[in-house]
Amino acid sequence: MRAIAKAAATATCVGILRLLGISATSPSQSSVHGIGADMIVTSTPVYRPLAALRGEERFPQGAQLLLIHKGDAEPLVDGFAATADPELSFDGTTVLFAGKKLESEPWQIWELTLATRATRRVVAGDEDAIRPLCLPGGRIVYARSTAHGFQIESAALDGSGVQQITYMPASAVPDQILRDGRILFESGFPLGSGSTPEMFLVYQDGSGVESYRCDHGVARWGGRQLSSSDVVFTHGATLARFTSPLAHEVTVAAPRAEYAGGVIETVQGEWLVSARVAPAKHYGLDLFDPAHAVAKPALEPVLARIDRDLVQPILVSPRNPPNHHPSALHPWNYANLLALDARQSRDGALKTAPASVRLDTLDAKGNEISLGTAPVEPDGSFFVQVRADAPIRFTLLDDKGAALRQERGWFWIRRGEQRYCVGCHVGPERAPENRVPAVLLRTTTPVDLTGIRGANTTKALASGGN
Amino acid sequence: MKDRMQGRARATLIAPVAAILSFAAVLALAHQCARPARAATLSGQDDFVDYDSPLELLLSPDGARLYVLCQQSEEVRVLDASTFAVIASIAVGRVPRGIALSSSGDRLYVTNSWDDTLSVIDTRKLAVIATWPVGFEPSGVVAEGAGMRVYVANRISNDIAVLDAATGTDLKRLLAGRGASYLALSLDGSRIYATHIFPNPPPLRTGMENRTPPESEITVIDTARAVVVNRILLHAIAGVFHVALSPDGRLGVVAELHPKNLVPLAHLEHGGAFADTLTLFGADVGPPVEIPLDELERYASQPFGVAIAPDKSRIYVTSGGSEIVTVIDVPRMLRFVRARPHAQPVSFATDLAASANYVVTRIPVGRNPRGLLLTPDGRRLFVANRLDDTISVIDTRANRVASTIKLAGPTQISALRRGEQTFYTARYSFQGQIGCSSCHIDSTFDGLEWDLEPDGFGRDIVDNRLIEDIKGTEPYKWNGSNPNIPTECGPRTEMYFWRSQTYDDRTLTDLTLYIRSLPSRPNRWRLRGGELTPAQARGLAIFTRTVDKFSKPIPEGNRCSFCHSGPKGTSQKSFDVGTRKPTDNSGLLDTPQLSNIALTAPYLHDGSARTLEEIWTIYNPSDKHGRTNDLTKDELNDLIEYLRTR
Repeated sequence: MRAIAKAAATATCVGILRLLGISATSPSQSSVHGIGADMIVTSTPVYRPLAALRGEERFPQGAQLLLIHKGDAEPLVDGFAATADPELSFDGTTVLFAGKKLESEPWQIWELTLATRATRRVVAGDEDAIRPLCLPGGRIVYARSTAHGFQIESAALDGSGVQQITYMPASAVPDQILRDGRILFESGFPLGSGSTPEMFLVYQDGSGVESYRCDHGVARWGGRQLSSSDVVFTHGATLARFTSPLAHEVTVAAPRAEYAGGVIETVQGEWLVSARVAPAKHYGLDLFDPAHAVAKPALEPVLARIDRDLVQPILVSPRNPPNHHPSALHPWNYANLLALDARQSRDGALKTAPASVRLDTLDAKGNEISLGTAPVEPDGSFFVQVRADAPIRFTLLDDKGAALRQERGWFWIRRGEQRYCVGCHVGPERAPENRVPAVLLRTTTPVDLTGIRGANTTKALASGGN
Repeated sequence: MKDRMQGRARATLIAPVAAILSFAAVLALAHQCARPARAATLSGQDDFVDYDSPLELLLSPDGARLYVLCQQSEEVRVLDASTFAVIASIAVGRVPRGIALSSSGDRLYVTNSWDDTLSVIDTRKLAVIATWPVGFEPSGVVAEGAGMRVYVANRISNDIAVLDAATGTDLKRLLAGRGASYLALSLDGSRIYATHIFPNPPPLRTGMENRTPPESEITVIDTARAVVVNRILLHAIAGVFHVALSPDGRLGVVAELHPKNLVPLAHLEHGGAFADTLTLFGADVGPPVEIPLDELERYASQPFGVAIAPDKSRIYVTSGGSEIVTVIDVPRMLRFVRARPHAQPVSFATDLAASANYVVTRIPVGRNPRGLLLTPDGRRLFVANRLDDTISVIDTRANRVASTIKLAGPTQISALRRGEQTFYTARYSFQGQIGCSSCHIDSTFDGLEWDLEPDGFGRDIVDNRLIEDIKGTEPYKWNGSNPNIPTECGPRTEMYFWRSQTYDDRTLTDLTLYIRSLPSRPNRWRLRGGELTPAQARGLAIFTRTVDKFSKPIPEGNRCSFCHSGPKGTSQKSFDVGTRKPTDNSGLLDTPQLSNIALTAPYLHDGSARTLEEIWTIYNPSDKHGRTNDLTKDELNDLIEYLRTR
């Protein structure tokens, strides 16, 4: 079976696949060598990078993982009707991927051992499971199709211990585990209700969900972190990046093209991108030198195939694992949220001081349900106990109960999570002031907005030290 | 060693000026006797390793010599500033902390923080020619330009000693901030600016002292009259380190910590624990301006040293925890400030995007970078990497480390040294925001109360405790829930402080070894040989009494000496002493050790007592915290006098 597949791929190489810059005589040899490792790439007739956010198929005509080794391309995995979404283990010995044994089967998560090409199924189920990523500590994350679109889950490498990470009425698909341990994922903005692709962050236990940046408005997806810690992503027609110093994205002077996302940084600091010059063309792999982007804003072709998109490149090279997130969730069936000053927002000052805050959620049918209100202190603080692992949304109300400002989307708090917000949509650039919020001077008992009778009786505050 | 310190402490208090020289000679002799053990560090193999630990740097006026203050080897290393060859090593006192040159360059002054002395070095002879007593825990030092006086910041005395530069006579003391530590002289010599590392005590009793932002100050001294002429308020700051002044005298800058101790420590992202900031002051900025060094996902943890380029084009700041030097473009920084007119002091500490307006770059250097030094032409910047025994030489035009000078310390890294490196770095916390030393400044404490998350928001507010000499005082934490240091520093720190994967087993073992090795600093109130003053003796009698003044027996559990028993003043058990607040989850509190308790205000588990006196005058109405309400004010003072000797 495997021999047949390889023969077919070789024939394809001769007749159809153009390996640019891989032959020894190619002027692009140095650039290819600059990549510094074998590559794995997803080859597909049609790639729809944002389809999963709509709950649709990204590879409607199938896909196949290819291993690019010393200029030769060969199928990476035998015996599968479709394979995609490669993710190399930290030690470089195994590859996680999404695969279908039969065309009629859903996508599942598999693991391939590179040395033997043996495969084993990691995650099974009746629904699609896609985009696996390695977590430290022998776990993985991936997105599973649900009635509410793709939701991110984590599991052990043997498929046990499945833990849901995202809880919202819209799809979320993981992009990468950042070095600080957080999961970078894409979803629609406003979160849970919008359709503009946007990038978000969440800890490995599903806590702390937030926007990566709050300069929303432009579709962005396919984020990857560079060695500098910058995160490069695509708008489709352009590339841009998030940097640590800035609260807004920074344009990358990249050539005009359509980018699929998932930029890979080579050892020389060049970027391996999946791009195409027009929608009618196919995505190929190109090198882009960001250090000389202004003087030489060109894409250097590396690998292309005239009848296939080449997307999702990864390097076959060991890498350092990201940080593990030590979950500090309490053994509760609810969560606590403290707003330090709900009046603060990137949306500007409120004309009227908020008197109270209303918490809404969604029922199983997607209908909005109010879970009650809590007072807002004169300094803008409030402290509430909220329903966990469910979509929630806050609305600030005036003293007559009229809405002053409402969160644009939905978010969630994990069971046992206890977090604070500096304001309402203030952006990650806003650090808390060092003051005790007035609500904590009045009471340290949160207003119960769980809508669950006796929610806080499950277990009192965690005892013990810290 | 303690005996020697006791003797010295007493002599410092009572020695007449005429006896200074002979006193200094005794000190020097004692110092030599004590030297083999003074800075020895015990490695995992029980070998003694004497590291250099460079802390501060100076250049001779002619630029030929580089003076390196080596804290652990307790010497001044004199290097050729061109070749970096060692010219001399001059032994000084215990745990030296500050160094200064006279304006002529013929005298070098070194503060010996554990000896409470100042070493005077003749730079031609390269020898100590005098050792002068100063205040408790001398730290920063400057010699005023006219050569008449030397100023010494005394960390425990909370003051600045004004010394006669010829004789060392202690002319006067100027009240400074709590934990007075660093000094800088303006270029024209007219002003000295002093900072302090612990927040000032709240001046008024409000009942909310432990829930209000800390306050610090820059103490400004007129050198002509040797008087304090201004105190520049640093609102919400706790932990102020070096101060630098521009040559034109129009811009001053201090490196400082801006804690978030009043906000529940629920997560670290977005500056949840600290802002690492500078405060700018002077005519260039008008009212003081606080600017952050941090970014959205990257921090400049524990800023310490600061220097301004001679042409005022750049500011350089070391960050001991992040192990970097931050380079600031001064014109851009001033544009940022001036674009935001302010009639009052202003802070941008909550804006993590602000630093993009003025930070040029962040240059990685060695472990725990501290003091830094610019050459007069501004071309080279020397950085003392305290826990690497190296000096980074930065090319300021290229903003990169051009070379690294290895000092002559040992090459092997002991377990203790690794533990110390772990203690001082911020690399283990989420996005590198904090390290152990963020709250345990110089391996002590920070004088703050924190709202830790797992006890509930706004609940169980806890005072940060001194970590010296804590071996044998377990369990730890005020609720006594942490049975040992590995538990405290391992999984609990990982979950609730660092919020990130932390140490492997070896690193945690090394860190534990380091923390358990921290000795108690010399007690400044204890006399030689353990003798007690009459007041202290009366206090001891009260501490150990079994009947009150009315001859009524005091129940065992209500005697001072019952809970505060043992050599370190703790029975290692928990008791309810009646200090529980409505926001406390329990009234049972671990009995804190009494080691050096005089230094560690505020007091009680939540820091609600500003002074030792307030423990009993305000917070012991029912005599649950020992039988004390039968005492007169004088008797309570006696008790406190005794406690200060612990």
